Amino acid sequence: MKNLFSSKTKAWFLALALAVAVPPVVGGYLVSILTLICIWSIMCFSINIIYGYTGQLSLGQAAFFGIGAYAFGILTVKLHMGFWPAFLAAVVITGLIGFLIGIPALKLRGPYFILVTLGFSVIIGVVLVAWVDLTGGANGLAGIPRPNPVPLPWGGQLSFDSLLSIYYFVLFFLLIIMIFTNSLISSLLGKTLVAISYNETLTESLGINTMSRKILSFTISAVLAGIAGVLYGSYNVVISPEIAYFAKGMDVVAYLIVGGAGTMAGPILGTLVLMAVPELLQVVPSLKTLINGIILMLFLVFLPSGITGGVDTLWVKIFRSRISQHGPAQG
Amino acid sequence: MVGAYFGFYMVMSLAMNYWLALILATVALGFIGLLLFRFVFYPMRDAPEVNLFVAAMALLMILEGAALYFFGTETKWFVVPFSRKVLTFGDLSLPVQRVIVILGTLVVMTFLQLFIKKTSIGATLEATAQQREGAMLCGIKVSRVSALAFMIGTGLAGIAGVLIGPAVLLEPTMGMGPLLVAFSAIVFGGMGNIPGAILGAFILGLVESLASGYISATYSLTFVFGIMILMLLFRPKGLLGKETWRP
Repeated sequence: MKNLFSSKTKAWFLALALAVAVPPVVGGYLVSILTLICIWSIMCFSINIIYGYTGQLSLGQAAFFGIGAYAFGILTVKLHMGFWPAFLAAVVITGLIGFLIGIPALKLRGPYFILVTLGFSVIIGVVLVAWVDLTGGANGLAGIPRPNPVPLPWGGQLSFDSLLSIYYFVLFFLLIIMIFTNSLISSLLGKTLVAISYNETLTESLGINTMSRKILSFTISAVLAGIAGVLYGSYNVVISPEIAYFAKGMDVVAYLIVGGAGTMAGPILGTLVLMAVPELLQVVPSLKTLINGIILMLFLVFLPSGITGGVDTLWVKIFRSRISQHGPAQG
Repeated sequence: MVGAYFGFYMVMSLAMNYWLALILATVALGFIGLLLFRFVFYPMRDAPEVNLFVAAMALLMILEGAALYFFGTETKWFVVPFSRKVLTFGDLSLPVQRVIVILGTLVVMTFLQLFIKKTSIGATLEATAQQREGAMLCGIKVSRVSALAFMIGTGLAGIAGVLIGPAVLLEPTMGMGPLLVAFSAIVFGGMGNIPGAILGAFILGLVESLASGYISATYSLTFVFGIMILMLLFRPKGLLGKETWRP
C-alpha cells in the first residue's frame, strides 16, 4: 500500500507546514492556545508510550507533569539555576522518580496498576499543596523564567521573548518527541512493548524480560511528562498544584483515547479536537468537563480506536474497490 | 455524589420528607445504573478491562461536570430536620445524622450479605463474578445478572449519598474522595468480599481520622493511599481476600 503510505507522509508535512505557518497569521490569543495544545500533545505522547503502546494505563502522568514543572520551578526560582541546567535536572529527577515508582507498581496489572498510579497522583497532589516551604502551597510558584536565548552559529541569537517564539520553542520539542516516539516504536524495544500490550505472558515465554521493558517504558513516559511540565512552567511563568491533580491526567487520557491510542497522529488529533473545539465555540468553562466526559464516553462505546481508527476504517472502505482491482498490497 | 445531590434536590426544592427522598434516590439511582449498563457497559462487554475503568472515569467526569453546571461550585448545606441535633452519652456526643449513617450502613450491609449468600439470585451473582463462562453454561443469564449487580451498586451509592449528605457539605467534586477511599477500602479488604470491604473501610477510615488528628490533616489522604499501595504490593488479594484471587 505504497499509495496510502505516501499520502500519509504528505499529510504529516502538510500538518507541519500549517503548524509553522498559521500562528504568525492568527496571532495573539490563538497562539497561546496552540502552545497549550502542543504541551498537552507532549503529555499525550507520554501516556501513549505507556498506555497506547505498552498497554498499561497510568493515571499518574499528571503527577510526573507536576514533578517536572515543580522541580524546574524550584531549581530556577529558589536555587537560581540557569534555564538549561535546570531543564535537564528537572527531567532527570522526573525520570528517576518514574523509575522508582515503576519498579513496584508495574508488578501489578490492569486495574491494580491504574489504582497505584492513581494513588501516587493523589499523594503528589497532596504533597504539592501541603509542603508550603518548598512548593509555595496552594498559591503555587511564580517567576519561572522563559528560555535563555540560544546563540546561533552564524551570529545573532534566538531569543524567546514573544509568545510566538515560545510557541515555536514548544513545537520544536513536540517534533523531537514525535521523531523519538516514531523511532522507538519501529525499534526492537518498541515492538517488544507492543507485544507486551497484546499478551504479556506470551511475550515473557519468548524469553523476554517484560518487567525491565515495562519499567523502561514507564520511565520514558515519565521523562516525556517531565519535559511537558518544564515547558508548561516556562510558558505559564506561574505553576499551581492543580496541574498535578489526577483529573488533569484523566483529561489527557481522554485526549489520547479520542485521538486514537497507540498511533502517531492520535495524541495530536485528540488534543487538538478536545481543546480547540470548546475554545472556538466559546463554551462556558464549567461545561468543559461535562463535554469532555460525554465525548470520551461516546468514543469508548462506539469507536474505541479513536479518530485515527475511524479514519483508517473509512479509508479502507473508500479504497476497497481499488485494492481489490489492483490486488493485495505489495511491500 | 449524585445520591447526595439527588436527595438534596428533592428535600430542599420539592420539600420532600427525608426518608421518602432516601427511598426515591435509591430507586432512581438503581434505574440510572440499569440505563448505564444497557447503553454503556453492555455494549462494551468484550472490551478490555482497562476500557471499562476509563468508562467509569468518563462517567465521573460527566456527573461532576453536570453537577458543576447545574448546581454551581459553591458548597451547599443539606438541611434536614434532625441534622443539627446531637445525642450525648456522658462525655460522648454524637450528631444524630452520624448515628443514622452508622445504623443505615449496618442494616444495608446485613441485607446485602444475606441477599448474596442466602438467595439463589445472590448465588448467580457470585457465580458470574467467579467464572463468567461457567455461569453461562449453568444457564445463568449473565447479562441480566450484571445488570442487576449494576443496579444494586448504583442504588447503594444513592443510599450512601443521601445518608452522608446532611453530615457534610455538598460540592460537585465530593464524589472523588469517597470513590478513591472506597476503591482503596475494597482493595485493602479483598475484592468480592463484603466483610473484607467493611473491614477495609473501617481500618482506612480509622487511619484517615487518626492521621489527621495526630499527624497532619493535610497529609491524611497520603496515608490512606500509602497503605493501599503497600497492601497491593505485598498482599494484592487484600486482608480477607481468597487465595485464588490474583490480579
